[in-house]
Amino acid sequence: MRDLNDVEILLVEDNPHDAEMTLRAFTSHRLANRVHHVTDGSEALAFLFRTGAYAARAASATTRLILLDLKLPKVDGLEVLRRVKSDDRTRMIPVVVLTSSNQEKDIVETYRMGVNSYIIKPVDFDKFVDAVKHLGLYWLLLNRVPGEGGETS
Amino acid sequence: MNPEALQVLIVDDSLTVRMDLEEAFRPAGFNTTLCSTIGEAREALSRGVYALVVLDVLLPDGDGLSLLQEIKTTARSRDIPVLLLSSEAEVEDRIRGLKTGADEYVGKPYNKAYVLARSRELLRARRPDRPAPPGTHVLLIDDSETFRQQLREALEARGFAVAVAPSGEEGLRMAADARPRAVIVDGVMPGIDGATVIRRVRGDAALRTVPCLLLTASEDRGGELRALDAGADSYARKEQDLDVILAKLTAMLRAAGEQPSSDALPSLLGPKRILTVDDSPTYLNALAAHLRGEGYEPILSRSGQEAIDLLAVQIVDCILLDLVMPGLSGHEVCRRIKGTPVWRDIPLIILTAKDDQGAMIDGINAGADDYITKSDDFETLKARLRAQLRRKQYEDENRNIRRELLRKEVEAAEARAARELAETRARLLEEVEAKNRELESFSYSVSHDLRAPLRAIDGFSKILLVEHSQALDTEGKRLLGVVRESVKTMGDLIDDLLEFSRVGRAEMTRSSVVMNALVDSVAREMIGTDSSRVIDFHRADLPEAAGDRAMLRQVVANLLGNAVKYTGPRNPARIEIGARAEGDEIVYFVKDNGVGFEMQYVQKLFGVFQRLHSSREFEGTGVGLALVKRIVERHGGRVWAEGRVGEGSTFFFTLRKDGGSNA
Repeated sequence: MRDLNDVEILLVEDNPHDAEMTLRAFTSHRLANRVHHVTDGSEALAFLFRTGAYAARAASATTRLILLDLKLPKVDGLEVLRRVKSDDRTRMIPVVVLTSSNQEKDIVETYRMGVNSYIIKPVDFDKFVDAVKHLGLYWLLLNRVPGEGGETS
Repeated sequence: MNPEALQVLIVDDSLTVRMDLEEAFRPAGFNTTLCSTIGEAREALSRGVYALVVLDVLLPDGDGLSLLQEIKTTARSRDIPVLLLSSEAEVEDRIRGLKTGADEYVGKPYNKAYVLARSRELLRARRPDRPAPPGTHVLLIDDSETFRQQLREALEARGFAVAVAPSGEEGLRMAADARPRAVIVDGVMPGIDGATVIRRVRGDAALRTVPCLLLTASEDRGGELRALDAGADSYARKEQDLDVILAKLTAMLRAAGEQPSSDALPSLLGPKRILTVDDSPTYLNALAAHLRGEGYEPILSRSGQEAIDLLAVQIVDCILLDLVMPGLSGHEVCRRIKGTPVWRDIPLIILTAKDDQGAMIDGINAGADDYITKSDDFETLKARLRAQLRRKQYEDENRNIRRELLRKEVEAAEARAARELAETRARLLEEVEAKNRELESFSYSVSHDLRAPLRAIDGFSKILLVEHSQALDTEGKRLLGVVRESVKTMGDLIDDLLEFSRVGRAEMTRSSVVMNALVDSVAREMIGTDSSRVIDFHRADLPEAAGDRAMLRQVVANLLGNAVKYTGPRNPARIEIGARAEGDEIVYFVKDNGVGFEMQYVQKLFGVFQRLHSSREFEGTGVGLALVKRIVERHGGRVWAEGRVGEGSTFFFTLRKDGGSNA
């Protein structure tokens, strides 16, 4: 069981196939253990704001990146985005929206909610690399050998 | 001499006439200049400014008609109304005078008041609307000069504008000329009395609503009752304080309230022309004298033909027609007059000999409005005449009212229709927009939901290929390849279909598009990137287009993309883009030396999903050209193509120069 305090990337994706492909991409580059996957918006919010099942998460454990799909059950992707961007505790977390087309990207743009970046699904790893580089999150790409423990930063 | 009064030029060689007319015009507020010859008149005209000319036809030094012509052909005097006065009683003289340009023709012996009334009419028609004099306008009719003066001063002191008349007849004429807000009339006068004046006022459409105050003598008890019977709104005794009279006047005006203007209707009391047709000069003259006495202008005609000739140049208010005449019979004249639309409504009274019932019945059958037996008693004739004129007045009034009502109804109906049209249009527009929004969200859903499984097929088949390649033999790999290719095709199809649908609904933003730059930009993307191909691309100087830039870019991209694609087998590929102006359109073309197509299938080219080449030879979904067609048509243009197998194709599209469209 992964230590939830260790998570740096939150993947919010309800489609199991899309999620599987994304996680595979991360696995092949040894980032999978730093990804926590939730399947709906309300769970994403619970994770970020440490409520419900996630009440035990340490306050010091910060999420460094959110990969957010838009069409989600319970709480919608846009609503999650809105909550994240309007709360001081989470506002600075970079959000990469996962869209299924350029058109979708256009639609989200109209909400002007401070989305940092977009990736068109399926998540092509090279594109993902571009996105994190663009966001200045180079350290996310540093490989971590599983089981060695300790942080490199 | 009143410096502000209008000037009238009176030209007649008879001193009596000159004095007589001066006597008529001066008290009515005009200044007069009298001349006895044409020479004098010419002098006067060159020196002074005249509002009206009264001109005798027979003058010692020439024919009045030639002076008339001079007046009407000189710029300076052309617009001055001219009233011809003539002892020449023949109808043909009247016709000649009117045809020469006279504004009115009055025969001698004339009725002074009639001349004055007609002159006023002519002047009123000419001058622009004078603003109403300040203060309420009151007409005072009394034969006593002293009383008139007294009351007028008292009224003017209270801020009223007062017009005075010395007799009932004159008063009625003045009322017809300038409608007063109220009339004060003396009960007892020589000529027609106050009660009659009031009755006549009540009988006139234009004056009906003017409140009237009757002044009665103290001993005349019965006078009060008569006054009220006649329709007076109020009465006062002459001996009473002027203040009482004023108070009653004020009360009367207040009760009357605002009166709508009815200038449109000519007053019954205005001057009337009566055309009398009879072959007996004795009867004509006798009749004329009576008519003149009533204040009408009689026009005497001795034959039916003369009468008809006259009607052609001048309209009259009533026709008195003898039945038995040589030449054109009265019967025939009556039939003709009643058969002519513009004369049909003129009241026509036939004059018959005693006991000639048959002729009388014929006359009525021919359309006459009334008949009268010729006799020495003209009273009946005058009464019938008055009745006919009154009837005609009422008819005109009714017609006016009906027309007004109809106009109002039509206006209201039009306003209703316009409102309904606007409402319907607004509703339809709303419906269309709602449908559009529905379609938009439907397309979005479709695209999003169809893509998800496609992603899975694509992604997982790739994983299979990569991570389980050892489990697949060559054939297995090939089969999987087909699956993956199909997925890609399906993705393209979805994208293209969505684009096609969007273009049909999207709002167009119109601007001026520099085609040179646009084409160059697209060409850079499509041709510049592929170094493996040798493409000889030439763009002629293209005129600017008016339209939606993004959409036009798509058109160019699709056509250029096709040219690049279908010249694949060629080395070098030659692609040319140019344009020429044709009328109010610009015709653009994209020409290539590619594989071409068979002209017999040209109709299918622009259909959705229609392809003339298999996807094995050339990839594509078959939507590209349909997209081009749709965009161009939305811009108000046309598309077409020419091709020869093995030699190449040229695709044409037109855009309107003015940027109009079928949006």
